[in-house]
Amino acid sequence: MNAPLNTLNALNEMQRLTSPFPESVAVKEWKATGRYVIGWFNPYIPEEIIHAAGMLPFEVTGDNEPVQMHGAEAHIYTNSCSKIRTCWQMVLDGKYSFLDGYASSHMCDQDMRLFELMAYYKKLPYMRLTYAPRKRDEAGVQLYLKDLEVFRSTLSEFLICRIPDQHIGDSIKVYNRSRELMQQLYELRKRDRPPVTGAEALEVSKAAVRMPRERFNELMEQLLDEIKRTGREIKKARRLMVIGSDLHNSTLMAALESKDAVVVVDEMDIGIRRASGQVDTELPPMEALARYYLMGRPVDKHNWNSDPRLELIGMLADQYKVDGVVSELVRFCTYDGWDKFDVKKQMQERDIPILELDLEYGHPGGAQMRIRAEAFMEMLEARAG
Amino acid sequence: MSTDTMLTIKDFQDGLKKAKEGIKKKPGLMKSTPGFFDMLSTYVDRIANAKEDGRLVATHGTQQPLEIFEAMDVQGVFNEFWGGVGDMIRLESVPQALAVSASTGTPGEVCSFFRNMDGLMHAGKWPRTDMFLYASSVCDNVKAFHTLGRRYNIPSFGLERSYQPYTAHAMEHWKNEYKRLIAFLEEQTGKKMDYDRLKEVVALSYRLTELHLEIDKLVATVPCPLSPECYSGTLLAIRLLPGTQKAVDFMTELRDELKERVEKGIGVIENERFRVMWTSFTPFFDPTLQKFMQDKYGAVSVCDMLSHWRGDAKWMLDPDDPLGNLAYRTLLAPGNCQYSSAVDVATNLADKARRFKVDAAVFNNNWGCKTGAAYGTIVKDELMRLVKVPSLIVHCDVLDHTFISRAEIESQMDSFFEMIEASKTYEERRAVA
Repeated sequence: MNAPLNTLNALNEMQRLTSPFPESVAVKEWKATGRYVIGWFNPYIPEEIIHAAGMLPFEVTGDNEPVQMHGAEAHIYTNSCSKIRTCWQMVLDGKYSFLDGYASSHMCDQDMRLFELMAYYKKLPYMRLTYAPRKRDEAGVQLYLKDLEVFRSTLSEFLICRIPDQHIGDSIKVYNRSRELMQQLYELRKRDRPPVTGAEALEVSKAAVRMPRERFNELMEQLLDEIKRTGREIKKARRLMVIGSDLHNSTLMAALESKDAVVVVDEMDIGIRRASGQVDTELPPMEALARYYLMGRPVDKHNWNSDPRLELIGMLADQYKVDGVVSELVRFCTYDGWDKFDVKKQMQERDIPILELDLEYGHPGGAQMRIRAEAFMEMLEARAG
Repeated sequence: MSTDTMLTIKDFQDGLKKAKEGIKKKPGLMKSTPGFFDMLSTYVDRIANAKEDGRLVATHGTQQPLEIFEAMDVQGVFNEFWGGVGDMIRLESVPQALAVSASTGTPGEVCSFFRNMDGLMHAGKWPRTDMFLYASSVCDNVKAFHTLGRRYNIPSFGLERSYQPYTAHAMEHWKNEYKRLIAFLEEQTGKKMDYDRLKEVVALSYRLTELHLEIDKLVATVPCPLSPECYSGTLLAIRLLPGTQKAVDFMTELRDELKERVEKGIGVIENERFRVMWTSFTPFFDPTLQKFMQDKYGAVSVCDMLSHWRGDAKWMLDPDDPLGNLAYRTLLAPGNCQYSSAVDVATNLADKARRFKVDAAVFNNNWGCKTGAAYGTIVKDELMRLVKVPSLIVHCDVLDHTFISRAEIESQMDSFFEMIEASKTYEERRAVA
């Protein structure tokens, strides 16, 4: 039996500030000052632009509890992504009524339609949809950059004040610092005994996009300091990597870790991609953002050419010395669907066991999932032998 | 796993020839029907004979500039056609291909146009393919082309289009994408693009658009002169053989016959009770459903989302700028609106409802389609708001006839048409007609 882990005060504070979800302490404090909150949906909306406008960027997602559907499926049929339906249900339930605007990008067809549903049935004072290029090349950067300039212009109009380059440059520095700190945490997870669980790391990552970024950075510094001071270690035998759709459900992550295993790394937009790389501060800020968001982060599932994504998964498996991979796919994700075959093939070639879980977004680790996870852990133990 | 019923290209050739001969002997069909099947046969024969004719074969998705292919002697295989017409030839092929696809690990939740291709390729029954070509219009499933390219070592090229396609920078980007496509094709074929030939092909393609618009005006007549057998003729002419004389000849024949029928007041049925618009796609999964609706309910298919141009479609802006023309053409092209916003789709459909004097709309919610799954309601609400046309939502699979039973569809349609006939709006619309 492992000894109880010592509390991470910084993480506790992050959780306090971002609770209750989504209209949290941090959101209420922000709104109390009369400032705007802009919801954003996927990783091709640079938060830096919203931040530079003096607004709070807030990622629109579900969280640790499943959302009861009672209306969303009338607008979004059940053969669509349950993350989209969850978010739409939350909008219908008024959970996101604190938003002053919403920005999304056409990263996938379903993101696009969620935006349109909001624009049609629940229009907010500010709304903007951009395009997330599927190809990572110079032509794509130029297309994306022009879209981002339009995004900045429309947001400036909403603000009735031009968002200057200098402010964007300042915001880039704030966000680069976040990436640096989150990357440090990922580095620590490479240790034989990582200092945090996968569920805790997910809570950190979620906090980043739900509270003022400067405060998050302070708490990240405190968190890293606490880890250093206390020598905190997770003593679990098996090391797992989670890949696939974005999860915002730490309970599910904790369920995977309930046996003698710890999630040491992930391949999610909300996880390692959020912590990767730096925006080039030598370039003009808007161009730097376009280059970073399109080319500076690891390839994701929405890119047509997912060869580098497959390579990334393999490389992470090596770097983090994982014993097994949990591939969790939110059902009806077209991109993951078409990558699934090759991901499994690659893991087999590397002799890394893979557990494929088809999930409904936001649902807890139910009995069926637990049974499959337990069987997977037993198999890992038998291999370790 | 059995692959016996899965169609080969030879099955397509034989099936279409047999259908063409059979149709000639069948009384009461439109005179253009054999010409329609002849056009399909020509298309399939061109694919089958491509190698000996010295042409490369490109399997491709929707919204491709086929005029560029034609000018470079590249023969296209449209993956959606292969599924839809495959259902006309042998309904059992698709479910078997989908089962094979599932056996490779492809989830059953992605689009069956692509799963069908996946299954047939895995079984070695897909036409020989030298390259894959695709575009971000119209959906995320085009990623399948890259995936299958990796799996079978087939080179691929994707065209990328912005979400807001009408801005100056998006138009410029799209035109440049065509230049990059040409560079890719030149590399694959070892030939240089002949721009004079491209201009000729583009001019023929524009002639096809003009004929299509004339046909639409004739089909909008009450009673509707177009039969279910020929209903897909315009769609397939522009999706398979644009820029060819064969397609122009078929469309001319169809236009002339429809004109004659309109002048004589001949409708496809005697008692036309309902004029139906398909707000996503026509029922490819059940090739006899349109005829059944016509016979049972007096419901004639007059238009759909995929088959009609946006506005007056004058896309030939400058005869000396074929790429600029083609870039603009794509934005106006049939079905392209599906890639746009849901409200834009709905506005387009409302315009069609007015032009074609529609009484009822049917939205086929394709299980594997994610663009459709979240815009059906907006389309339904906008059609009611703008033109007072009610919608029936049918949850189906675009190709797989086993997904929903005919009995269930009939049951839904019984109630739907009864409801419409009892409505005040219908009475008013019919009184005006």
